[in-house]
Amino acid sequence: MKKNLRWKIILVLGVIALSVFLAYPPSTKIRYGLDLEGGMHLVLQVVTDDAINNETNQEILRLQDQMKRKDISYDTIVKSDERIGRISLQGFDPEKERDVRDLLDEYFGEWDASFSGNNAIMTMKANAATYFRDQAVKQSIETIRGRVDELGLSEIPIQRQGGLQGERIIVELPGIEDPERVKNILKTTARLEWRLVEAGPAATQEALLTEYDGKVPEAMEILPGDQRRNLGGNYYLVNQVSIVSGEDLRDARRSQDEWNNPAVSFRLSPEAGRRFYKFTSDNLGRLLSVVLDNKVITAATIEDRISDTGIIRGNFTVEAVEDLTVALRAGALPASIKYLEERTIGPSLGADSIRKGLTSIIIALILILIFMVVYYRLAGVNAVSALILNILILAGALAYFKAHLTLPGIAGIILTIGMAVDANVLVFERIREELAQGKSILSSIASGFSRAFKTILDANVTTIIAAVFLFQFGTGPIRGFAITLIIGITASMFTAVFVSRLIFDVTLTKKKKREKLSI
Amino acid sequence: MQIFKKPNFKLMRYKFLAFGLSAVVIAVGIINIWVHKGLNYGVDFAGGTLVQIRFKSVFPIGELRQSLSDTGLGASKIQEVERGEREYIIRTMLPEEELDQELEAHVIMGNRVVDALKTEVDKTSQEKGLKDLNVIELDALIALLGETYPDKAEEAAGAIIDLRQSAEQKGIIEDFNQIEQSGIDNEIINDLKNRTFLGSMVIKRRETVGPQVGQELRRRTTQATVWALIGMLIYIGIRFKFAYGVAAILTLAHDVLITVGLFSLTSRELNLPVIAAILTIVGYSLNDTIVIFDRVRDNLKILRKLEFENILNSSINQTLSRTVITSSTTLLTVLALFIFGGEVINDFAFTMMIGVIIGTYSSIYMSCSLLLFWKKIFKPKKGMGR
Repeated sequence: MKKNLRWKIILVLGVIALSVFLAYPPSTKIRYGLDLEGGMHLVLQVVTDDAINNETNQEILRLQDQMKRKDISYDTIVKSDERIGRISLQGFDPEKERDVRDLLDEYFGEWDASFSGNNAIMTMKANAATYFRDQAVKQSIETIRGRVDELGLSEIPIQRQGGLQGERIIVELPGIEDPERVKNILKTTARLEWRLVEAGPAATQEALLTEYDGKVPEAMEILPGDQRRNLGGNYYLVNQVSIVSGEDLRDARRSQDEWNNPAVSFRLSPEAGRRFYKFTSDNLGRLLSVVLDNKVITAATIEDRISDTGIIRGNFTVEAVEDLTVALRAGALPASIKYLEERTIGPSLGADSIRKGLTSIIIALILILIFMVVYYRLAGVNAVSALILNILILAGALAYFKAHLTLPGIAGIILTIGMAVDANVLVFERIREELAQGKSILSSIASGFSRAFKTILDANVTTIIAAVFLFQFGTGPIRGFAITLIIGITASMFTAVFVSRLIFDVTLTKKKKREKLSI
Repeated sequence: MQIFKKPNFKLMRYKFLAFGLSAVVIAVGIINIWVHKGLNYGVDFAGGTLVQIRFKSVFPIGELRQSLSDTGLGASKIQEVERGEREYIIRTMLPEEELDQELEAHVIMGNRVVDALKTEVDKTSQEKGLKDLNVIELDALIALLGETYPDKAEEAAGAIIDLRQSAEQKGIIEDFNQIEQSGIDNEIINDLKNRTFLGSMVIKRRETVGPQVGQELRRRTTQATVWALIGMLIYIGIRFKFAYGVAAILTLAHDVLITVGLFSLTSRELNLPVIAAILTIVGYSLNDTIVIFDRVRDNLKILRKLEFENILNSSINQTLSRTVITSSTTLLTVLALFIFGGEVINDFAFTMMIGVIIGTYSSIYMSCSLLLFWKKIFKPKKGMGR
């Protein structure tokens, strides 16, 4: 046997061994996608405008504080309604314009300021806005991961869709019994805010505004009361700025109030505690509301100074407290999220798809086997061996890349079975042509392979181009299809050309004087 | 065995007939799409909710429709899965003016469908706090049985879930006798009868897509198709001459138009897997075309004296058996998928079948005829070879 041939055999055996090693046993090595395993696929959008608004609110507080320290008087500092990420500073002392400019330069570097008379408009710089949006998405992913962990699910793929600018998150949860509850826990922004109540509660929005000539005053907004919380009225007029918020939260636990009703106990960061203490000291006797996701859940008179610990009561059920603390502990979402897409596949449908998919693969294989052997005789056996090796490599590659096998992925395998033999067909037809021209068996095989190779390459590259674009734009299951097709077609160039050739070489050298090629 | 001993069909002679035929089919497709005001988009593209439900016993389609219209859901589309009136795919429809609603609106529609189809027994059992054995997850069932039979909980729970998931039950257990037959202790079954019930239906699949995703998906799909075509044009342009690239791309456009047109004649909905099939066909048909072009390129060197039309003709003939065999093997496998693959993948397999046939036909007729026209119209000075 030629030395060259021996190395080739070793290479092929090595590939077989490696594929088997990677993919065996398939039940543990090859992972199923959600459409086969059953579970819930969620696409969420982070409303990053919320993050910008939060940041703006924080900055307004900081600016108010700085203006006081520098002893600059002003009329109002409010969030502008025209555009997101804009603060309007109105009516500052004109003689101190220099001081205002210095203050903004020194402490508010992330804002562009434009002055007109004794007013200034501050706009968040574009790169700062991009940064806050990006952070919001990153934090959301962390928060969602935290919540999923709290629910006792581990190793859940949570990925960002659309690259660095992407504001979408894909969560794939296997085997969920109560999708609605999980969805609600993930979605709860759990954005807690403590805000000063300016008026209310009142039954209608109009009633709230009687003192204000029917218009919502600057720096205030109307928030609805949470219907389930049994409050004194439906609406509150509250300050736009939150004093402390969920971001300042260090811990939240299930607890009870003095009448043994379920409540949530919380602890704030030291810095927020100091802020809260100062605020409550200054506003004793006024009404303070706790706002959860833009709904007032409770409002109470500030009777005492509060620093970093306290409880929230709100006519909660035990279950509501449980879900809320799970959400709060994993951290509030920095911005609200909304669902764009949700797909739940029951385990029975997945099991059914696996069964049907495998049946189709086996039947397809048998059909091809019969067809190839009838049409090409022993050469057909050669092609089918190459095909089986192709599937083996495909399985090994899927296991190695930890790609999830989906139902379209199975379709990709089946299609690969049909298309991978194409390379063999091209070669065999060429060999037949060469034989018909009266060439010897060995030289027919040699030129058959070499002449067909260029065609095989061109033809396969185009299929791979289509599959790559499919992978690029597709999601979940469709990507699974593109992956199996790409791997399968690529492997077919190795199996149908290199391995098939080798099989010819080995079988033909053994029986040297062969008169006829079985093709 | 050999299908064609030495094929020498004068295939190019029928090029005008082929053009006419293609034109008619494409026209029929386009008119059909136009008459129906666009393609029949499924949930993936149009947004909405799809629920696949299997019932414990036969639920005639007429009654199903009645139950839905009684609760104001008469506009829902109902599709039977397999025969036997036990499993359906129901797609809810929002009124046209509310189509742009957020996802929540679609989710609520789905919930209403499920509620409308639940029986009184389901509802009262649930209110009593009984667990539905047809819905419960393995872990929860183990925990439930663990309260009374800690030693046997795992085994019994596993057996019940396996029974439910088996090929015969297809996700739903009809009565407790079936559990008895699977060899579980009677005392456990009696315990189960007190604490659980067998719900009348099981939701096998539920998909809700919000309007934004659908719109974006349509845009991205178009982009992917266009970019794939450009990518191929470039590749063929490099490997062959520009004229071949143009002929190949026009052929692909022809395939896509015919496939989409024929698809629109069926009552099937356009979903993501169908798009995947169409893109695959693009790759597959090109594959065929390239094999023939490759021969044309070779023959231009070998058979220099022949007319271009005859060169095309012999190239097609020389590759004919390969074309037919590869199409047959691909068609066989896709057929296996179509028959045995189940309803989830059925649209994909169907589209692939049309595509493989059209792709084979077009690579023989369209691509070579287009090359011929190119030569007649532009009369390239250096000829059609490289």
